[in-house]
Amino acid sequence: MKRDKRFMIGLVGVAAVVSYLIWTGVSDTMVYYLTPTELVAKVTADPAFHELGVKVNGKVVEGSYERSTDGLVHHFQVRDLENEDISFAVVYRDVIPDTFNDDVEVVLEGRYRADGIFEAHTVLTKCGSRYEASPEELAG
Amino acid sequence: MIQLGELALWVALPIALWGTVIAFVGGRNRRGDMVLSAERAVYAVFLLTVLTSIAISLAFVEDRFDFWYVANYSNRELPLFYKISGLWAGQRGSLVFWVLWLSFFSSLAVWQNRDRNREFMPYVTGTLLTVMSFFLIVLLFADVYPFEKLPFTPQDGRGLNPQLQNYWMTIHPPTLYLGFTAFTVPFAFAVSALLSGRLDASWIQVTRRWTLVSWFFLGNGILFGMRWAYEELGWGGYWFWDPVENASLLPWLTATAFLHSIQIQEKRGMLKVWNMSLVFLTFIMTIFATFLTRSGLIESVHTFAQELRIAYIFLTFMGLLIAAGVVLILWRKDDLKSDNQIQSFLSRESAFLFNNLILLGAAFTVIWGTLFPLITEGLTGEKANVGPPFFNRVNIPIGLILLALTGIGPVIAWRRASKRNLVRNFLKPVAMGVGLVAVLVTIGTRDPWALATFGIGAFVMTVIVVEFWKGTRARARIEGEGLARAFVHLIARNRRRWGGYIVHAAIVVIFAAFAASSFDTEVRDSIFPGDQLTVQSAFGHSYTLTYNGLSTSRGQGDWVIQWIALFDVERDGERLGTMTAERRFYTDSETPSSEVGIRSTWYEDLYVILAEVADMSGVLGGQAGEAERAVIEVQVNPLVSWIWYGGLILTIGSLIALWPTEGRARSAGTAVGEAAEPATGPAAVTT
Repeated sequence: MKRDKRFMIGLVGVAAVVSYLIWTGVSDTMVYYLTPTELVAKVTADPAFHELGVKVNGKVVEGSYERSTDGLVHHFQVRDLENEDISFAVVYRDVIPDTFNDDVEVVLEGRYRADGIFEAHTVLTKCGSRYEASPEELAG
Repeated sequence: MIQLGELALWVALPIALWGTVIAFVGGRNRRGDMVLSAERAVYAVFLLTVLTSIAISLAFVEDRFDFWYVANYSNRELPLFYKISGLWAGQRGSLVFWVLWLSFFSSLAVWQNRDRNREFMPYVTGTLLTVMSFFLIVLLFADVYPFEKLPFTPQDGRGLNPQLQNYWMTIHPPTLYLGFTAFTVPFAFAVSALLSGRLDASWIQVTRRWTLVSWFFLGNGILFGMRWAYEELGWGGYWFWDPVENASLLPWLTATAFLHSIQIQEKRGMLKVWNMSLVFLTFIMTIFATFLTRSGLIESVHTFAQELRIAYIFLTFMGLLIAAGVVLILWRKDDLKSDNQIQSFLSRESAFLFNNLILLGAAFTVIWGTLFPLITEGLTGEKANVGPPFFNRVNIPIGLILLALTGIGPVIAWRRASKRNLVRNFLKPVAMGVGLVAVLVTIGTRDPWALATFGIGAFVMTVIVVEFWKGTRARARIEGEGLARAFVHLIARNRRRWGGYIVHAAIVVIFAAFAASSFDTEVRDSIFPGDQLTVQSAFGHSYTLTYNGLSTSRGQGDWVIQWIALFDVERDGERLGTMTAERRFYTDSETPSSEVGIRSTWYEDLYVILAEVADMSGVLGGQAGEAERAVIEVQVNPLVSWIWYGGLILTIGSLIALWPTEGRARSAGTAVGEAAEPATGPAAVTT
């Protein structure tokens, strides 16, 4: 079978462009998904991590929630799911999810600033159980 | 009745397996009676699945909470409409629903070819039944049995996820499934062509039409999903690059590529291996989409569950499909040789080829981004992911190149475009594109991607309009018809081509709407009754909303708490009327849901979100007298309705292309005539 040279050139050309787009896209937008413990370890090891966007999965510290009088700025503490000693302050200036309360598991997206405050641009609450229930749950 | 449906599901599997075996054996030994028996097995599986589906819906209607599936997706207060559609509300039912459509399309294909394409039918039937058997095995043995009983009968069910209680959500999944399952037919014909060695144009004829059916449903399914997201998820967007959305986009992209490259094979006898690979790839993508939706491999807003066994079964099936594709294509590679070579870079062949490579490139970036968390975790042990910024960055340039090709492909000459061909066909369109960009820059538009989209869009639109105009005028002159009559006859004479152009126009309209989203405007504030919010739109209108307070009520038998914010709306000082934005809390499942207020016009949508209610949750509640304080977000989203209009145009174009051509014998022999459009293409129309 005679190879179609132009086909190959086109293929290589498009592959190169797509790879370039993916490469730059990934390096500029990739977000690490960490636990608070990992995040704290990362920034201690490399302060450049303060500038990177990260996703963090933790738990809101009970009783730490406060909102500004106009209701638009939210402050709370988030701690590691396993290690209660690792925690940091979070500031969030957007609409808080309805399922948010001060005892919920959250996924934050944002930046862990050098002053030790996590500036979140997204707060998602993680429901404890999946939507589908086990038979035991239905019984209760 | 419910027991009967359950029994039907068990009976369906042995029949499907029997049919599979006998179809392949009958095909090999040229035993017509065996093939006929296999074809009857297809009809039988369809009828049995109908029974199973009715049984599941009936279990919902009768509030049979002793069934695990019903208990999890319904409750007594659920409106009847959503009980019936409970069949496809969750993983287990959707798999039944999948088999239902698969067996329906299979039956249709078998019936349609009852006295033609007989040489293909044994292996076609066998392949269809293989896929059906696979899904039946999953249903019966992969921990997703839809009739699983609970050891007790709960008082009430858990209710349906409120976000799924939306009109668009009830038609979005079925439409997607129609698209996914319909593609099994082209796949079956491809497998049959490879197995039987009949690799001439005839399998392409059947396949093209079925691919178009599948493509049409996939496209509409995706659009319905966008509509649902826009109305129900309440942040003004319609596309999230969520794994499940991506999964439905993948087969659409590869099917689009196939619909284009198939024309190169029909007209120039090229790209045969490529086309075969695309059929396999698209089919694998439909299975991959089901797999992503149903296995919960990657976290997503609407993945159903996280059963592992089903994940392995699907992965094995996909692995087998890939292996089968590679082996079959290599086996027949001598019969899949190209009759021709690309002669010039400036030719329709090469434009189509580019379109294909780029569509596949787009599909690849989507797969990459979707599987990125798995890839990085596998390679580096670190968890990381990429979100919408990645997909937008990568796919906007790719999308624009594709859009430009939409304009170039139809009018560039086959084989080798002359300078004259290029100038004659592209001078006006390019001038229109540049002209529009110049006008937009003058009135102050600066966003480079939006400018590029509008410019290229104008170019493509002009190409299409000029083509229609040239064709109509030529016909009017030759046949002595009036312009309107000539226009209708023109389309009727070559539905496939003109339908395709209409679809291209729809794509331009939809792309324009996407680009316009960079001009969305919004304000958000925490306000009390009597306060006003004002937002300027990109089209220069000024909307003022006066907040008239909050009313609270209960619905669906006290299960749902509703907060409704009332507004008076003015545009440029002129009163438009009232609007409401709602927030609901479903106490049974403890899930909130928002019902945004939308006032839609053809050029912009006013979109009001009741973002927060002060007294919704104890911890968020403020001081006394704050009960009616609410956080309100008002957006003006330009050109959003163009997406839905685009969907309508897309439907019209697809139906024109699909409409059966009258006066042609129903045999495969004459169907070739359809492909015999003058190879010189549109240039011939004008001369």
